[in-house]
Amino acid sequence: MSGRIATVVIVGRDAPLWITTAAVQRSLGHLDVAVQAIELPSLLQPVDVYSAMPAIQGLHKQIALSEELIIAAAKAVPLVAQRYSNWAGASPAWMVGYDDPPPPGSDVGFVHYWVRGRQEGLKPAFEDFSLAASAAKHARVPVYQDGSELSAAYGYNLAAIPYSLLLKAHANRLGVRVESAPIGDIEVNDDRITAIVLASGDRIEADLFIDASGIEGALIGRLPGSSFESWDEWLPCDRMVVASGAPIDPPPVYSQISAFRAGWVGLYPLQDSTAVIAAYSSKHISQTEVIESLPLPARIPIGGDAVASTLRRGVRSRSWIGNCVAVGEAAIGLDPLESLGLYVTHNCISHLMALFPVRAGTFPEADRYNREIALAGQNLRDIQCAHYALNRRFDEPFWDQCRDRRLPESLERKLEVFSLTAHVPLYDEEPFEEQQWAALLSGAGIFPKRYDPRIDVAPDEVLIQKVQQRLRDIAVTVPNMPSAAEFLKHGRGRLEVAR
Amino acid sequence: MEPVRDIVIVGGGTAGWMAAAALAKTVGSTHRITLIESEEIGTVGVGESTIPPIILFNNLLGINEDEFVRETNATFKLGIEFVDWRRRGHTYFHNFGLLGADLLTGVSFIQYWIRWMRSGGDPDHLRFSAEAEAARQMKFGRAQPAPDGSQPKINYAFQFDAFTYATYLRRYSERRGVIRREGRITGVRQNGESGYIEAVDMQDGSVVRGDFFIDCSGFRGLLIEGAYDAGFEDWSHWLPNNRAAAVPAERMPAITPYTKAQAREAGWQWRIPLQHRTGNGYVYCDSYISDDEAARLLVERLEGKALADPKILRFKAGRRRKSWVNNVLALGLSSGFLEPLESTSIHLVQVGLMKFLEYFPHRHCDPILTARYNEEMAFQYETIRDFIIAHYKVTEREDTEFWKYCKNMSIPDTLTEKLELFRTRGEVKPRIGDLFTDVSWLAVLFGQGIVPQGYHPLADAMPEDELNLKLARIRSAIKQRVEGLPSHGEFIHSCCASEALVAAE
Repeated sequence: MSGRIATVVIVGRDAPLWITTAAVQRSLGHLDVAVQAIELPSLLQPVDVYSAMPAIQGLHKQIALSEELIIAAAKAVPLVAQRYSNWAGASPAWMVGYDDPPPPGSDVGFVHYWVRGRQEGLKPAFEDFSLAASAAKHARVPVYQDGSELSAAYGYNLAAIPYSLLLKAHANRLGVRVESAPIGDIEVNDDRITAIVLASGDRIEADLFIDASGIEGALIGRLPGSSFESWDEWLPCDRMVVASGAPIDPPPVYSQISAFRAGWVGLYPLQDSTAVIAAYSSKHISQTEVIESLPLPARIPIGGDAVASTLRRGVRSRSWIGNCVAVGEAAIGLDPLESLGLYVTHNCISHLMALFPVRAGTFPEADRYNREIALAGQNLRDIQCAHYALNRRFDEPFWDQCRDRRLPESLERKLEVFSLTAHVPLYDEEPFEEQQWAALLSGAGIFPKRYDPRIDVAPDEVLIQKVQQRLRDIAVTVPNMPSAAEFLKHGRGRLEVAR
Repeated sequence: MEPVRDIVIVGGGTAGWMAAAALAKTVGSTHRITLIESEEIGTVGVGESTIPPIILFNNLLGINEDEFVRETNATFKLGIEFVDWRRRGHTYFHNFGLLGADLLTGVSFIQYWIRWMRSGGDPDHLRFSAEAEAARQMKFGRAQPAPDGSQPKINYAFQFDAFTYATYLRRYSERRGVIRREGRITGVRQNGESGYIEAVDMQDGSVVRGDFFIDCSGFRGLLIEGAYDAGFEDWSHWLPNNRAAAVPAERMPAITPYTKAQAREAGWQWRIPLQHRTGNGYVYCDSYISDDEAARLLVERLEGKALADPKILRFKAGRRRKSWVNNVLALGLSSGFLEPLESTSIHLVQVGLMKFLEYFPHRHCDPILTARYNEEMAFQYETIRDFIIAHYKVTEREDTEFWKYCKNMSIPDTLTEKLELFRTRGEVKPRIGDLFTDVSWLAVLFGQGIVPQGYHPLADAMPEDELNLKLARIRSAIKQRVEGLPSHGEFIHSCCASEALVAAE
């Protein structure tokens, strides 16, 4: 076999399966590549939520799924920021907004201007300079205005079952062949899958198999050489409980993530309800206790529909083995903090599509994919780990342990360099820009000791002017954005026409 | 935490004065900057060829480009012509800038070009490079991209006289308060406890104190090696060249807007055109050819009359294991050496300086920052090293012992992987911070003889007539762009002819 890839089979379930299927079909379907999906039984519960950072917009565009449909079908609410409260004792809550403003003037980022301003007695918090955080506080949605692009973006909180069904219908419309059947057997020769045998007895062969089955790793787990590196040490929550609560009206355009003594509780606003996720360490609190105490930190009435599950945190040593490529949670397992779940799948697909094999049979691309995924996983883990490690909740065993733990070297480096220089050393495959890292780290209480000396080239009054200009721009821009209610009522498309 | 106040640069030359100029501009108002150099020692100044990021350095300094070109006898550079590398008689061009245009499909232009080429299209990918087209026609001009995207930008760098460049930066620096101390350094004073360097002793008995020292003393690394034994990672098994014979020749009648690198029996020969003369050199390995023979061949092969006797320079490929130790930062030759095949020497000084400013220290230099700096610089050196090694490894030549060695030598794993990916699909997928893009790798690897066996399947998605139309449009936009440019000579005369050039004509 050394011809081009003619058949691709994707095995998985729920949104990750359909995202992968739609993306592969959209890209390759018209190139005489036969794309087939094998759907395993769903694991979703009615209370489940997918929370997605703005990168999801790129995916929706790629698979040509309209926002109007998503808002209508998946009860979606735009997501502009994450708000963290109770992570640092009596310190105020902080926001990590989705924006990436261009540096003022030279190529030195805004955070340096802020550090210098603080050293000279300026009051505002870093998030005051974030267009996204400001939009979130005013319940506004950053959409294009007057044709000019904003430096802020939004993702969504999505009701999981209707979103998955929407994607499935979309994949069907795109012409993908779908089999819904459990797997009976997998035929493996050396490190290659020769065929999947379904419970029905059907035997399915392909040039390339994609495993989108989630933590189970239905395919990749059967291949030789797929060990799993655990991150339990750094992501201490091993269980989660999902429940649903009353809607908040109007729905906030941010997720509220509140720490409690053995984990955290997040509120994810949807149009007709609020999804509640509690992630916790089973060593420090029981499931019953979490479910009983859920309404307290959440402060909204919760239904009696809580569902508990186990979190598997870590990365597969090799996500591409032979002719099988793992995407999403089959490759990288995280906890739900910072809404990275769908992003993992999307990111894996991007890597796979960028490296899509030229030929069936030999795959020199596999090593590169494995390295990229390992790096991407490390960076995603570090974002979550930073939240735990930088907590300032003292005298609670869970949080004390989080602070005392040795950090991953990559994160330690990042924290040290940031606290010394205000620069965030970015590695390959970073999901966050410098701005988001700076928001996270400064919010969590790291104040850089100094800033890049290159900004001292400009006289003080120029610096003050630049800082004030940013505040003015935000103050002028935010009120012109549509409110969350307007946005949900009219949709982005019509709002743009109206303007 | 006490701030650094006094910065002492040890050694003039290109690296020293680049450091002085950049520091004077950025931290000069709050720091005292002293540069020590000795006219007795002199510098390794030869014709120096650069790459486009140098424009960023000029922008940081805020210098007027016409004035800079005039005063350094500079010419403009659009790429490098490689002659006899793949085999004798074969020529290829490493172009600056982009190839083609972004077709906005998520698949890079290179992939479309491979598809087109493999189905019978013109194998000359440089028809899709405005820089290469202009170089071929000996043209040059500054051109920004058209706002509607229909016309490409012209990316360029400079070829200048390294000695006058240092002089130019010296003037710039002294005007901004940099103090120049003439004389030899005879001793180094270290703090007994911390090991930090506190001062250097001058031959005249005076002492120059500093909080931070920048070692631009050249190969010997007076501070970084002399005081700190930072160590040297030897790469000569991959890059065996260890000598260069250099000689200036008369100026070219028509000045090429590119540097020429011609492979020779035991290395290669450069030709760097300046306004007032042409820099030439033979880079070689002394195990395969003697100094005398190399110098004789160099002079014999000059295109113009030699203006001096050949000078022999000695070096070794490799990297200082640490280029920042305590309060000493090594820049330029004291931090490592890669032969000038891809004109990266000045760039490495520039990158080192910019990273230093990012990690600008207090009087106590945090080991975390110095470790991070050293790691980032190691990556810079290694990625450029791999690119240069590829020129020797990927070749059909085995006609001399030197080339037999190069063709059959083992190479770093990082390069093996890139070559394999390129052979499979025409791209190496560089990492963040990699200096050379896929366009550069294509130019060199394809030029050296690797024809990609396949391309990204998504490149097949575009219907053939649409692809042909798009390629034709890009080609005609490039043609149109280049037609509108003056000749390189005319351009220089129009705004930046040096006194020497005017006098010569």
